[in-house]
Amino acid sequence: MAGQGEPAAPVVLAAKRVSKAFGEVPVLFSIDFDIRPGEVHAIIGENGAGKSTLIKILSGLERPTSGHVELDGAPVELPPDGQAVNLGIVVIHQELNLAEHLTVADSIFLGRELKSGPFLKLREMREGARRILETLHVHIDPDVRINTLSVADKQMIEIAKAISRDARVLIMDEPTAVLSVAETETFFEQVDRLKAKGVAIIFISHKLDEVMRLADRVTVLRDGQLIATVGTEALTPDSIAQMMVGRELSNLYPPKHEPDVDADTVLAVRNLMAPGVRDVSFALKRGEILGFAGLIGSGRTAVAEAIVGLSPLDSGEILHKGTPVRFADVSKSVAAGVAYMTKDRKGKGLLLTANLKDNLTLLTLKRHFKGPFLDDKSETRALERAVRRFDIRARDPSVRVGQLSGGNQQKLMLGKMMEAEPDIIIIDEPTRGIDVGTKQQIYHIIAALAAEGKSIIVISSEMQEVIGLAHRVVVMREGRIAGILEGAEITESEIMRYAAGIKQGGENERISA
Amino acid sequence: MSVSAPEAAASPSKGFRLDLKTAGPLLALILLVALGYALNPLFLAEGNVTNILTRSAFIGIIAVGATFVITAGGIDLSVGSMAAFIAGVMIIVMNWAVESMGVSIWTVLMGIGCSLILGIGAGFINGFLTTKAKIEAFIVTLGTMGIYRSLVTYFADGGTLSLASGAREIYRPVYYDSFLRIPYPVWVFIVVAIIGWVLMNRTAFGRYCMAIGSNEHVARYSAIKVDRVKTWTYILQGLCVSLATIIYVPRLGSASAATGVLWELEAIAAVIIGGTMLKGGFGRVGGTVIGALILTAIGNILNLTEIISNYLNGAVQGVIIVAAVYLQRGSLSARRKKAAE
Amino acid sequence: MSLKALALGLLATSVLTGAAAAQDEQIRIGVSIPAATHGFMGGLNWHAAEAEKRLEAAHPNIDLIIVTADGPEDQASDLEDLVSVQQIDALVVLPFESEPLTEPVRAVKDTGAFITVVDRGLTDPTIQDVYVSGNNTEMGENSAEYMMTRLGEGDNIVILRGIPTVLDTERFDAFMAKIEGSGINVLDDEFANWNRDDGFEVMQDFLSRFPDIDGVWAQDDDITLGVVEAIRQAGREDEMFVVGGAGMKEIVRGVMEGDPLVPVDVLYPPAQIATAMDVTVAHFTSNGPVRGEYILGSPLITQENAEQFYFPDSPF
Repeated sequence: MAGQGEPAAPVVLAAKRVSKAFGEVPVLFSIDFDIRPGEVHAIIGENGAGKSTLIKILSGLERPTSGHVELDGAPVELPPDGQAVNLGIVVIHQELNLAEHLTVADSIFLGRELKSGPFLKLREMREGARRILETLHVHIDPDVRINTLSVADKQMIEIAKAISRDARVLIMDEPTAVLSVAETETFFEQVDRLKAKGVAIIFISHKLDEVMRLADRVTVLRDGQLIATVGTEALTPDSIAQMMVGRELSNLYPPKHEPDVDADTVLAVRNLMAPGVRDVSFALKRGEILGFAGLIGSGRTAVAEAIVGLSPLDSGEILHKGTPVRFADVSKSVAAGVAYMTKDRKGKGLLLTANLKDNLTLLTLKRHFKGPFLDDKSETRALERAVRRFDIRARDPSVRVGQLSGGNQQKLMLGKMMEAEPDIIIIDEPTRGIDVGTKQQIYHIIAALAAEGKSIIVISSEMQEVIGLAHRVVVMREGRIAGILEGAEITESEIMRYAAGIKQGGENERISA
Repeated sequence: MSVSAPEAAASPSKGFRLDLKTAGPLLALILLVALGYALNPLFLAEGNVTNILTRSAFIGIIAVGATFVITAGGIDLSVGSMAAFIAGVMIIVMNWAVESMGVSIWTVLMGIGCSLILGIGAGFINGFLTTKAKIEAFIVTLGTMGIYRSLVTYFADGGTLSLASGAREIYRPVYYDSFLRIPYPVWVFIVVAIIGWVLMNRTAFGRYCMAIGSNEHVARYSAIKVDRVKTWTYILQGLCVSLATIIYVPRLGSASAATGVLWELEAIAAVIIGGTMLKGGFGRVGGTVIGALILTAIGNILNLTEIISNYLNGAVQGVIIVAAVYLQRGSLSARRKKAAE
Repeated sequence: MSLKALALGLLATSVLTGAAAAQDEQIRIGVSIPAATHGFMGGLNWHAAEAEKRLEAAHPNIDLIIVTADGPEDQASDLEDLVSVQQIDALVVLPFESEPLTEPVRAVKDTGAFITVVDRGLTDPTIQDVYVSGNNTEMGENSAEYMMTRLGEGDNIVILRGIPTVLDTERFDAFMAKIEGSGINVLDDEFANWNRDDGFEVMQDFLSRFPDIDGVWAQDDDITLGVVEAIRQAGREDEMFVVGGAGMKEIVRGVMEGDPLVPVDVLYPPAQIATAMDVTVAHFTSNGPVRGEYILGSPLITQENAEQFYFPDSPF
């Protein structure tokens, strides 16, 4: 599959010496880019490298400051506001653009409904949707509402929507960021199918392994500059990473320090029953990093939310440093030194319209009082500390958090949680959708915290991450613990076996108390 | 996608933009004052200025409360009816007190106490129904709006409740007298505004209101007791309505079904003109005060001039309100566009 | 106008004597009026309720059904319900607005019901069997006449109007026509929406605008109360007097006691609804059919005659 570089197929879409500046800030410098039918072309680079701007220009959402876009070899001015769809250029955004309350069929035909006179041809649309879904080998009922679907299914609907619009060029911004391993595999098959149909696919990804697996060619951007466009066969993940960062990335994961076998158990969960959680028991020791692996929806987040009091707890016992506890809400768990960092940065983690300071201190506002009033100076000092400690980069501190890059948002969220000075830290998807450089920083922060004696639970869908960080790994499946792995057992294939239900748990004797 | 490099300097015009945004409502007020003065120089005569300030106190005080409700993502449509209801009950209680124990300062204090209890209680009911019964604030307060309005009509037999003249004489100075040449209602307004500003900008409560209005999930995940904070915003609103009523009743000494009609819309308009977002997440108490002054000044200017047909008063009001909000939003959206780059 | 009052008095007596000749059959009369949203309507509602008690006690076979509406659409629905549910034999209606309610009332008429229209006329007067109304023109004229007795060449007055409606325009136009040529100078007029608070604020603004005001025509007693407070606040009670309108009990009492600030009031009787109900009942209980227009006068209430217009139990 790796590109034999069939020169026969003519270029569909190309950018010629495209530059872009916003005001006085240049973000792209004279980029050349092209794609052919049936080709998968990956764009990679750190956050802020200009990837999103490039695809916005390729889809008409932004206009280049200089240079131009060519469609079928002729220079074009792409129509704005996503109307390039009519030319066969379809973008699937990272945040899927589906109306949650419409049905699958409604969504696929949204904006170009089949009508007879003023009336909708509901049956035809339902049939049409079913046919399109069948060609994709997706088994989703056209009548169900979008909000009942999993993220992966929603993405399939976006793809179906693109196909139904006769997409010639499909542009995807981090399509697998929210998919589990199994879902990613289905997604890959889908991409192969589209490729075979002659669709040109451009995608942005931070996951180098999937770039290697899918792409025929890779374009690397760094700080708005085109570093290289290379056939995938000439690359290794290491060489790509190096091009991206511009420096050696030998130690993505910090060395694991050996956990103290005699360390106290700081958190013990016994027979926990909660929404989405069935009979979960495990223990966490001081200074330990405990990984939680499993497919999306396997109940990992549900366990965390039940522990910190975000969702009701049906039965079971939680022992915090030997004392039974049941946190009624987050304020109680934070007060006890147990903090949870959500995976939903934008929806549940940060106030996107507020500034850095207000976000940082929101969890711990009570610490910044002077009498009954807030102490602005103390808050500012806290922000200065956090910016130094977590290397948060913002143009200026008054900028809205929504305008920060994903990596900086993630570091800010980490800072917000650490303001509470917790001993037990639960981090859900620590590096979702952020660039390699920031990932490395976050991994080192996590390892350093563990070395200080904090106990950390890392929930992640990126298996490499769990393997690289955790001392022990809990694998969950359908709300239960399928197995707990230690030492040499922690391998990708072993985790996969438990996660997929091929291997059943080593039962309770493995659960060290 | 933003440029993450920290040295990508701020745009040079930023300071000015920020200023314009904060000053938007103030600018609108200044323009309006200039217009008023141009149409009739009496507009800035001391007596007229005092009239405007005193009149704006009712809507202004209520609007300060509404700023918190709206900032936290709620809405309270019941304030006008609530004011009429509280005024009605105050008058009934005070008349009863006059009858049973004669006129004294205690009569008025009883009325005031009763007003505070009712305001806080009514606010709590609105808050409780929205947070615990999980009914949309719009529906809850639409319901209570109808209830209070018809209760006051019922108490007044469809007519007007009038305060007994003895109590009236004792109570009257609360509206009509001044301290340092500033009428008491204006003092109350000033104090409420200052407390409101401090509460919004200098306490955890204000920060929590903004967080909840901006994103309730984030607030909950950040250990904020969302229901409690939201309920408090309604209680605060009720308290503000009660204070406004306490200074309203001595003005005419009466309450009827026509009391406080459309005050809820005026209060919400004052809040929005002042720069608070109707969808929540961002509140400006200072702006609300200016918004209330703008609304009152419009009516006053129309009364002071003859050049505009009486039949067009509503149209003039509408144009000025929309223009005032545009002044403040126009600069805001320009800034946002800039920052999004 | 005293002639009209006499005619009415006679009519009322004939109603009472006619009661003896009551038929066995139950007569259902619907009464549709606006809800009590301000003072005058409050008074009207009270008089309607009083008349219902009185008439039903006098005529056991008469059943009066009073419904109140919050707006023209609401009133149109009320009319439909009165026909379909109550199956009324007669309708007494005070239309919210003339135009929109003309067709709904015609629909009631088409069922064979006897129609009495009160206060605000329909656009097609052939629909009604009886029309009972206050006299807005006379009210404006009487107010103007009183002004002319106290003021003359070079004196200044201000006017506070109600809500922009036909009724308000009739009063205003009649007033202006009457004072024309008297030399009285109208400084300005503004709408005060038949509301105390607005009356207070508009008057405050008039007071700061005009240093010399000799008279105020408030034309409504709710507005009058607000105006009086504003004048007191400014301490200018001795400079001017106020002429109100409608006959609110507080104002009438003030007139009775000789208040120099509000020396007179001009009646616009909320009791007209009771008259309309009397007339309609009379149609069924007296021997001959009742037809025609009954225009109630708008006499000037002065200290001498105030007592006969004073209803202490009415809310208005």
